[in-house]
Amino acid sequence: MDQPADIILAIENLSLGFRGLKALDGVGLSARKGETISVIGPNGAGKTCLINCITGYYRPREGCILYRGRNIIGMKPHQIARLGIGRTFQDPTTFPHMKGLDILMAGRYLHTRTSLLEGLLFFGRSRAEELASRQRVEEIVAFARIEEVRKVPVLAMTYGQRKQVEIARVMAMGPGLVLLDEPMSGLDEFMKEVVNELILDMRQRNITIILIEHDMRAVMELSDRVVVLDHGKKIAEGTPTEIMRDEQVAEAYLGGLSYEREAA
Amino acid sequence: MRRRGKSRTDFVRDLAIIGSGRHWLAVALALSLLALLPFVLRWTHNLNWLTFLNFTLLTVIAVLGLNITTGMAGQLSLGHAAFVLAGGYALGVFTVKLGWPFWGALPVATLLSGIAGFLVGIPALRLRGFYVAVTTLAFFYIIQFVVRNIEITGGIHGLIGIPYPYVGGLAIKSDIRWYFLLLVFCVLCILASVNLTRSRLGRAFLAIRDNEDAAANLGISVGLAKLRAFFIGALFGGLAGALWASYVSVVKLDQFTIWDSIWYLGMMVIGGAGSTAGTVLGVIALRLTSQVLHSIGSSGLIPLSSNLTIYMTYAIFGIAIILFISFRPFGLIAMWQKLKANYKRWPFGT
Amino acid sequence: MPQINTIVQLIISGVLVGGIYSLIAMGFVITYRSARVFNLAYGQFAVLGAFLAWTFIGPPGSPRLPLPLAVFLIIVSAVGLGLLVEFLFFRRMIGRPLFASFMLSLGLLALLHGTIMLVWGPESRVLGATVPKGPLFLGKFVLAREYLWSFGLALVATLGFVYLFRRTRIGLAMRAAYDNQVAARCLGVSARLNSQIAWVICILVATIGGVLIATVNGVSIGLSELVLLVLAVVLVGGLDSLVGCVLGGLILAIGSNFTSYYLSQYLVGVESIVSVSLMLLVLLIRPDGLMGIKMIKRV
Ligand SMILES: Nc1ncnc2c1ncn2[C@@H]1O[C@H](COP(=O)(O)OP(=O)(O)O)[C@@H](O)[C@H]1O
Ligand SMILES: [Mg+2]
Repeated sequence: MDQPADIILAIENLSLGFRGLKALDGVGLSARKGETISVIGPNGAGKTCLINCITGYYRPREGCILYRGRNIIGMKPHQIARLGIGRTFQDPTTFPHMKGLDILMAGRYLHTRTSLLEGLLFFGRSRAEELASRQRVEEIVAFARIEEVRKVPVLAMTYGQRKQVEIARVMAMGPGLVLLDEPMSGLDEFMKEVVNELILDMRQRNITIILIEHDMRAVMELSDRVVVLDHGKKIAEGTPTEIMRDEQVAEAYLGGLSYEREAA
Repeated sequence: MRRRGKSRTDFVRDLAIIGSGRHWLAVALALSLLALLPFVLRWTHNLNWLTFLNFTLLTVIAVLGLNITTGMAGQLSLGHAAFVLAGGYALGVFTVKLGWPFWGALPVATLLSGIAGFLVGIPALRLRGFYVAVTTLAFFYIIQFVVRNIEITGGIHGLIGIPYPYVGGLAIKSDIRWYFLLLVFCVLCILASVNLTRSRLGRAFLAIRDNEDAAANLGISVGLAKLRAFFIGALFGGLAGALWASYVSVVKLDQFTIWDSIWYLGMMVIGGAGSTAGTVLGVIALRLTSQVLHSIGSSGLIPLSSNLTIYMTYAIFGIAIILFISFRPFGLIAMWQKLKANYKRWPFGT
Repeated sequence: MPQINTIVQLIISGVLVGGIYSLIAMGFVITYRSARVFNLAYGQFAVLGAFLAWTFIGPPGSPRLPLPLAVFLIIVSAVGLGLLVEFLFFRRMIGRPLFASFMLSLGLLALLHGTIMLVWGPESRVLGATVPKGPLFLGKFVLAREYLWSFGLALVATLGFVYLFRRTRIGLAMRAAYDNQVAARCLGVSARLNSQIAWVICILVATIGGVLIATVNGVSIGLSELVLLVLAVVLVGGLDSLVGCVLGGLILAIGSNFTSYYLSQYLVGVESIVSVSLMLLVLLIRPDGLMGIKMIKRV
């Protein structure tokens, strides 16, 4: 398959299984630079598994994942992060005991080079890098409106603040590809708006985004294309308006089956 | 009101260990008090307290190391006393058996202990939680076994006649001179420990402590970070052990037992795991408790044999650890911070 | 060939001792499996049990109380102690991070150690008759009667455990609690009852183990080293497997029998290092133990 040069992420025929269960089954997807692609689907459809495959936490049984033309299957999570792929986690209590500021500063890990010795002696690059990182982090803090939680450990934050910090952390990493796992679930309208703004900002910076989200309004507003998963299979792909009209999608979301599954 | 944005000077100040003029004053005051302390003790004929202070300083150095491995990076270590032991024996072997000068042997002994830490970290790479603790425990017994069975460490008799250091022609022999030497080392170690918390590596440690998986997505190589945590922790432990050996001029197997590993953990938890200041507080608190018990025991106020005092100490340390873990899991440092915050808000209640 | 006889002898006594080891290890596993407590104070519980037994039974020849009454009192005090320990210390640990219960068990270790030494002192004591003692000749081989008895008791207790975990409602509840304490509570499993039962069993087993070993080795604080052995047994076998306990116990007992027979004159303290190195080896090669199940990690 010949690909346009600006394809950042190309996934083909991705399959993942846990013992008997097929969590992903021949999923394909591609994203151009700066595009926002939403992945939707009922609970248990395999959306999080998809992200886990891309970020190296799960090893797919079959298929390939090319990031900037390079196969990243088999690479360790930290190696993949070093290529500039950042993600949020569905449960935003990622670093329960760390303070907001520390988390964002940790997000700058890849942008600093201070060695062990320099760190212990606080000498050489250490100070300069700390100040530079802090400068960038403060911009993000102001933008993400998380001034209040600079010195607050995650466990003492509200759920919304945790989600904000989680996204701010990924922004601090300065990635080329961002994978967001349900950034708005569990938030009220106001907080959803805040998160929406953050995602829009990343879009404007030409960052490629894979967005997993149940909130259809946000999906409609933010995404260039929408991919629908159900039972690990891709059942539809298209522009937001196309997807809204698709009958299969409505079936997957509203059909009796998914209700039963959620009730179980 | 929300404060938006911060000026650049603000985070320069945030970065500094000593933020304000008042803070400087407090530190200067504390340091000069510490410098005056031995003279006061001499004047009041309480020189035995100087020995207590010296051992406390040594313990602070050792426990700061454990605080890096366990408190910051979350790698449960029951073997920290083994690194102290390794440092002590290394210094003993280099000076007594090989005739090296103290200042040549000290860095090598420290580094060797660090390397031992690195080696312990290797099995820990694939393991988590309790399993890491058990690995370090196993390692403790293995080191002990090796030291007991090889010739050069003097077997069960240990090594005696470890030389004292000279600083600028001055023999560090008396308790008072040792006090100043140890004070300098201790302050340097505290600085290094604080520096670590304000560098990328320190934050990487916190991240792997809280969530190894998510830390990897920050680009942190979890394995390497664990190895480094063990390495640095053992470095501090080894330094403490080497200085210890020279201070008491002997090194023996029963100087550092598995109980010391447990006390180190206890001191760290009582002070506040992960916090440098907390660790120092915790060491002081437990050491002071044991010293007070000891003084009561030997003063004859209550008829306690020296053995009974020791058992009392075990029981009381145990109770202290249990109480803190149950009711004050963030330790003395958190209590202090809360007190400070309440004081600032006064009289507007808690 | 005399060599063969020695080897068979070492294996037979290894099997007997291994049975006792596995029983003791199960007491450790039960609190781990139902409350996720990695109980490092376990050795001290065994010592406490042994000293209590000594208090009731007394030294040989001069029994303080008739044996059945003493046994009854030992069991009652072990149960009481289990309830007390659960109530005072570990109930607060439900839902707390693993580090907290780990440190708590260390604190308890120190507290018990200090208290035992304050009450009974450091001297080793000989325990009066509990089970028949003395050699039993079986053809060319010699068996120690006390080992045989202990092995029998251990076997009964082990079968009891397997029955409890596999066949009873409470066993099912305990297994559920191991997987997820909060979810188990939602299903109507009482966390408190669970944890009480686990601690009672834990201390009961520690006491039985302590008494059995004290019958052979005497009562002293040195018994607390038992925890090292227990750790080795459970980690070699696999922390979440009862069958693993048995396997681990046998491997360690036979292994240390052989090393102490063949090596102890050359290396000081080699017996104790064998279990530790074996454990380290298994951790390196199979971190989940020989019989443990590798869990799928969920991110
Ligand atoms: N580590 C795992 N082990 C076993 N099954 C898993 C694991 N991770 C996910 N699954 C299963 O894969 C399916 C897809 O899960 P997931 O990707 O989390 O769904 P969602 O679309 O809601 O994010 C689910 O049935 C889930 O139970
Ligand atoms: Mg999901």
